[in-house]
Amino acid sequence: MAVDIEIFGQLLPGKPRRQTFEIQGRAAVRDIANALGLDPEEIGLVTVDNVQSELDDPVQADSRLCFFPYVSGG
Amino acid sequence: MKILRVNMKESAVRWESVPKEYEQLGGRALIARLLLQEIPPACDALGPHNKLIFTPGLLGGAAVATAGRLSVGAKSPLTRGAKEANAGGTAGDALGKLAIKAVVVENQGQPKRFHVLVIDGDSAELIPADDLAGLGTYATADRLQERFGADSSVMSIGQAGEQLMTGAGIATTGDRDQRSNHAARGGLGAVMGSKGLKAVVIRKPLGRAVKMHDEQLFRTAAKAFAQKLITDPKLGTKGSQHLYGTASIVGAVNEMGSLPTRNFTEGTFEQSADLRGEKLRELMLAREGKVGTRCMPGCVIACRNLFVDESGKPVVGTVQYETIALVGSNLGLGKLDDVAAINYLCNDFGLDTIETGAALGVAIEAGLAKFGDFDGIIGLLKQVGEGTVIGRMIGCGAVTTGRVLGIRRVPTALGQAMPGYDPRTLKGNGVTYATSPQGADHTAGNAFGARKEVNPLGVEGQKALSLRLQIIAAMLDSTGLCLFARPPIIANPQLMIDMINGIYGWGWKLEDYDKFNRDVLRTELEFNRRAGITQADYRIPEYMREEPLPPHNAVFDVPDSDLDSIFDTL
Repeated sequence: MAVDIEIFGQLLPGKPRRQTFEIQGRAAVRDIANALGLDPEEIGLVTVDNVQSELDDPVQADSRLCFFPYVSGG
Repeated sequence: MKILRVNMKESAVRWESVPKEYEQLGGRALIARLLLQEIPPACDALGPHNKLIFTPGLLGGAAVATAGRLSVGAKSPLTRGAKEANAGGTAGDALGKLAIKAVVVENQGQPKRFHVLVIDGDSAELIPADDLAGLGTYATADRLQERFGADSSVMSIGQAGEQLMTGAGIATTGDRDQRSNHAARGGLGAVMGSKGLKAVVIRKPLGRAVKMHDEQLFRTAAKAFAQKLITDPKLGTKGSQHLYGTASIVGAVNEMGSLPTRNFTEGTFEQSADLRGEKLRELMLAREGKVGTRCMPGCVIACRNLFVDESGKPVVGTVQYETIALVGSNLGLGKLDDVAAINYLCNDFGLDTIETGAALGVAIEAGLAKFGDFDGIIGLLKQVGEGTVIGRMIGCGAVTTGRVLGIRRVPTALGQAMPGYDPRTLKGNGVTYATSPQGADHTAGNAFGARKEVNPLGVEGQKALSLRLQIIAAMLDSTGLCLFARPPIIANPQLMIDMINGIYGWGWKLEDYDKFNRDVLRTELEFNRRAGITQADYRIPEYMREEPLPPHNAVFDVPDSDLDSIFDTL
């Protein structure tokens, strides 16, 4: 299945900002992060289809998945 | 320590020793207590019985990293309740070094006549300043720093405060090119204008330092605190705040559907990518502007920027997230250059960008301009400086603008405009907006966080989360600590207790610290109660309970019973 990915902030260097990512079968956010070479320890916030999510949440086909570094509201 | 009393009616200043009941207070905690003790809660906020208070936090002047913020307070003409707004800059540090616990401005001078208060070491005087009347905050600070030293601290109002517009804030000068920091919220600039006080100048204290009760205890804790800040992944030089500033969250808030867009009618903005912190950094590096600058000397977070135009000419320092949200996406503007231009004008007029952005959004909805039409919007804003009726309406904030123009969609709580998180999709912030004695204010307890502690779209857990955050915010605002510096203190409150005990020798334990923080809220709530504010006032606007917000089509549905009972366990 295809997932639309966007990576933000200091997670970005060395990676494309946006990409379509193909995964086989069931996948969690963490699986995709690992496949993209993102260190889960550096991921501060995840959204799946505009909903704040966790690394162990499942990802459905045709989802939009965004990875953010640690951020803090001012 | 001492308190400086300034009587504007008699043009007189008086030093007094700190009364016992104020000794263990600072910043927001002192403001709350002083308001409750010294002013009639139901008084006219712009009348002679209100008092305007400048106070450093408990750590002010002690060279603790990020702890030099200045608190300004009074009864708010917007919320009708207790108000504290704080700002970076150098004034908080200067007051702390001079051992001035508070400057309390009382009574009123003659209408339309202005003075400047000059504090120089252990002396202070009021000098006539009618020559500064009508000037913006930048020109006011420039003139006063020419006269009293480029390294002096200047707190001033612009045209908005002089004309008693209730969206007016108070500008403070900062480190180097950070010329304009604002104690922006709640209309405190109008209170300052009502007193006839155009500015306060503090000559740089030389050879002055905070006296320590136990220097070793203080230094050990302060050093550990600074090291935690530097190594925190959110806050160090590799962290988002330093690299991208407060605008680092534009993308995340937009993705979560909480970015105020076109007068809070949508939660995502199609041009948000051009407003992100990444874009801001890219632009400033290409144009040779500045990123990662400080508003306070010694800050190790350094989240500021100096925004320059295409030719490299400085426009404004700094462009911040809340401003981007309220005068960018909220007005349908997708260019940082447009945001910076509006930001500069607001700073110069001495206007809160949150209140003014919300007011402009309401005015646009009423047809006075179009969303995305920069020329039309800047035309409205310029009228604030000109003092036209429309300008005064905008300058008085969102509620006034909505009433005059007959608009029901007015994003406020307790009379004060909402900052850059729509409460329908970040409901913890909605609870804070509704219940904080400060009115709609993200700094009173911001639930936007890195991990999903509580589902931001759900109802469950929001009350407890907001209460916990409001107690933490009370601590930050009373110690002079920047809210970005909270993680090490939340993780280990003993650091704060040791710093306070090291300076003052109060022998605080964890329960004293906890009581101190909670008492801030208790005192403010009691002031507001005596001012006539009831449970029915602590609410989110009705339309936000009924009008779904795309893309989640969510409404604010935290029950009133949760709002009414939030402080039951305080």
